[in-house]
Amino acid sequence: MQKKNRHNNASDFVFSADFKNLEKIRSLIKHHAFKSGFNERDSDKIALAVDEACTNLIRYSFNMDNNQKIKISIDKDDKFFIVNIFDSGKPFNPLNIPKPNIKEYLLKYKKGGLGIFIIRSVMDEIEYVPSNNRNPQNTLILKKLLA
Amino acid sequence: MSEKNKFSVSISEIDGIKLLYLSGFLDAHTAPLLENKISEIIRAGENKILVNFKDLDYISSAGLGVFMAFIEELRQSGGDIKMAEMKPRVFTIFDLLGFPLLFDIEKTEQDAFLKFKSSI
Repeated sequence: MQKKNRHNNASDFVFSADFKNLEKIRSLIKHHAFKSGFNERDSDKIALAVDEACTNLIRYSFNMDNNQKIKISIDKDDKFFIVNIFDSGKPFNPLNIPKPNIKEYLLKYKKGGLGIFIIRSVMDEIEYVPSNNRNPQNTLILKKLLA
Repeated sequence: MSEKNKFSVSISEIDGIKLLYLSGFLDAHTAPLLENKISEIIRAGENKILVNFKDLDYISSAGLGVFMAFIEELRQSGGDIKMAEMKPRVFTIFDLLGFPLLFDIEKTEQDAFLKFKSSI
């Protein structure tokens, strides 16, 4: 894990795209969420959402290629605790996935796709910025209203 | 905590019911271990599985997906997966996804055990 500090208050971290790093990523997010005033329960939820987002990236965008990198930037403004997740994999906008009727979904015993549902359930705002000419990275922005 | 201790499963058996004790963190990294253990149980012809969550500290959708993957097959053969002793932080995730509709989640291992007994 590398840490870089930008000129503002955001902290940036880089992880290799490996499921082994999920635990480190969760600890990091939890630590920062707790420091920003969230209780343990909400810090856990934010860490879970980031775990789900990184799991999807590693599995679907990077196709389990551990040489890829995930960059995470943790920030806050007046209103939100903000986690930006950057990647250079195939653009994949999780917000394009229709919201499942979870009861029907479960009763059909479907496996997979639950991660996005969890992210939507625990975060207050989610944005996705696909890579473009000026910015080569996709960005998933997860926001939680400050406690 | 060393790598191999991050998640573990220990297994015992009482009256034809396989008891799985989970501990640690169940995420995309560790879920394949649980998937393999349940596959082995099913391959050996067993279909009643009681999962004790008392030492599990974390679960993500990758972990929940393991149970989803096997439940239909087990129920079709007359078996089930019953769950017990979840910490509130783990139950919260199951609840978020409506899993209590789909799985029998009991407070104690004894309760889950009796559910199996009463369904035989």
